[in-house]
Amino acid sequence: MPENQEISLSILKKRWLKFKTLKRGYYSFILLIILYTLSWFLPLLINNRALVLSYEGEMYFPVLSGYHTGAEFGQDVPGEAVYRQLQATWTEADNGNWIIMPVYPYSPYEDITAVGNKMYDPPSNTHWLGTDNTGRDVFARLCYAFNISISFALVLTILNYIIGVIIGGSMGYFGGKFDLFFQRIIEIWSSLPMLFVIIIISSIIRPSFFLLIFIYTIVNWIGMTYLMRAEFYREKSKDYVAAALSMGQTNFKVMFKHILPNSLVPVITYFPFAVVGGISALVGLDYLGFGMPPPTPSWGQMLDVGLQNISKWWMVFAPVSAQFVTLIMVVFIGEAVREAFDPKVYSRLR
Amino acid sequence: MSKNTLVDIKNLSVHFPVHGGVFSKRVATVKAVDGINFSIDRKQIVGMVGESGCGKTTVGRAMINILRHVAPDVEIGGSIEYHFGDEVVDFAALSSREIRKYRSRVQMIFQDPYASLNPRMTVAQIISEPLQLHTNMTKQEQTERVGWLLDKVGLQPEQARRYPHEFSGGQRQRVGIARALATNPDLIICDEPVSALDVSIQAQVINLMMDLQDEFDVSYLFIAHDLSVVEHISDKIAVMYLGDMAEYGNAQEVYHQPRHPYSKALLSAVPLPDPSRKNRKRIVLQGDVPTPLNKPSGCAFRTRCPIAQPACAESKPEFKEQAKDHFVACPIVE
Repeated sequence: MPENQEISLSILKKRWLKFKTLKRGYYSFILLIILYTLSWFLPLLINNRALVLSYEGEMYFPVLSGYHTGAEFGQDVPGEAVYRQLQATWTEADNGNWIIMPVYPYSPYEDITAVGNKMYDPPSNTHWLGTDNTGRDVFARLCYAFNISISFALVLTILNYIIGVIIGGSMGYFGGKFDLFFQRIIEIWSSLPMLFVIIIISSIIRPSFFLLIFIYTIVNWIGMTYLMRAEFYREKSKDYVAAALSMGQTNFKVMFKHILPNSLVPVITYFPFAVVGGISALVGLDYLGFGMPPPTPSWGQMLDVGLQNISKWWMVFAPVSAQFVTLIMVVFIGEAVREAFDPKVYSRLR
Repeated sequence: MSKNTLVDIKNLSVHFPVHGGVFSKRVATVKAVDGINFSIDRKQIVGMVGESGCGKTTVGRAMINILRHVAPDVEIGGSIEYHFGDEVVDFAALSSREIRKYRSRVQMIFQDPYASLNPRMTVAQIISEPLQLHTNMTKQEQTERVGWLLDKVGLQPEQARRYPHEFSGGQRQRVGIARALATNPDLIICDEPVSALDVSIQAQVINLMMDLQDEFDVSYLFIAHDLSVVEHISDKIAVMYLGDMAEYGNAQEVYHQPRHPYSKALLSAVPLPDPSRKNRKRIVLQGDVPTPLNKPSGCAFRTRCPIAQPACAESKPEFKEQAKDHFVACPIVE
């Protein structure tokens, strides 16, 4: 192959470049990626356990090592050490012991049983968004809930996509009896009142992150099959598929190497909106009390207690605005993706 | 049948059932191809002509067995016997899985150069795909072969990493030709390879295809509706009408002394660049082509035939060798 090989951009790369020019969506995307990445390091940023402490010449890493009793550090408290208090006393005593706390030294789980926490504490320098009805820090819970919401929505959407693409794609590609059979199944399945099914299941079994994902996936894979069935059905009659078959390519390869890359427009443009749906679904279930088990931080649960204490404005304001900002950023991304993936550009096929 | 025969098609029929009603009962049959016989020799170019909807594309697609994936319930009858060396392989009888290993021997060039190349793959990926499937070439050998093929079809090897949408129609068709030639096939089915191209490009592509036929020793089944193109390129011409073959013979003979009344009418419609011959008689056929859902009894052409007789409605005319290597499906002109 000659050296002066001309390299041209794939359609996907061109679409990415186009996406980058749509500033609102692009910056939302960058911001959301940064926030979500940071949210995986929340225990290092927002926590009541110390990052590093040096007690009588020895180093401890409570964030990583976990539970240490107060007695270990010469503190007279029952149970776990209270690091904020340790920090205050050691700074005062100046005896060579030192401690580094996370940036925001409150955990989403510590309630009024921890020293110094009060219920319904309004926003202040110590509790940025106040405390809730059990004395838990609202800001800490908000941030942890962000991680859970986005993770839930992403895992849910990706699982739905995998199932939806495989089943919907096979329906469109193979057609015939296979198509007919799954169409009937989907019709029956989609006519079940799914919210009630979820509520019934989660009132029988104690829900957890993966159980909720599992239940929602059972319900939600249907949406993608409609799109993929139509895409595969249209693409399979095109000549490039006939060409691939005539050179002896297997059905599996034809489906996933040839047709799928040409059917990605609805998959990708629909993705952000599916994520929005996933976030809202979890909030809804949590709000009704059938979602993540307490005391898991979640926006729905925060909204619920906030509405029960509507006079404490910060308890409602915080989860509502967090949801609003997150959802609107995802929608901005979706909007930009939709514009960047305009199928009329770069492709003379459609 | 001579020793040189590459493919021998006997009584090939392709029927598409039509379903309707509440219970999807079979209500009719589209007889796209209805019992045709012909053969293609090695290194031979057979031109196939006929009006739109006469089944010529269906014949081509049946010959590489890709009908079933769009129409799973298609009924293919007769036999399509390929002679690969000592092996005789009947594509009409084998399953798709069994055919797979013979796929490299028969390839296809498609009509629409915009639809026949996957827009998500680079030219190099498109052309090397058959190489990956049918040869044990290393990546390096494949790239070399792709560059060599691109050079053969008149493109620059430097363009291998471009995407199809960066090429013009003629260039794309050249990529399609390179893909078809990649595995050194015995037969290439060309399904109207130039009808989607500009007239100025058509000639270039046809000349390229003729040069490559010489070089690669490949046979072509050249499906077209432009008779002058077919006459220029073919050794033999097959004329189809409504799923039947009307006439099959040496190109010069069929073109200059057509026997079947349909061939005569078709040829009289060819525009001639020679003004001195403008006085030739133009045979204008009456009426429209009947639907293949409900073909006329006996000879399918009798409803529009200028020399039809009552007997034509009774039985299907025999496809008979009226002169040496010249088959005609009309007993009246014998």
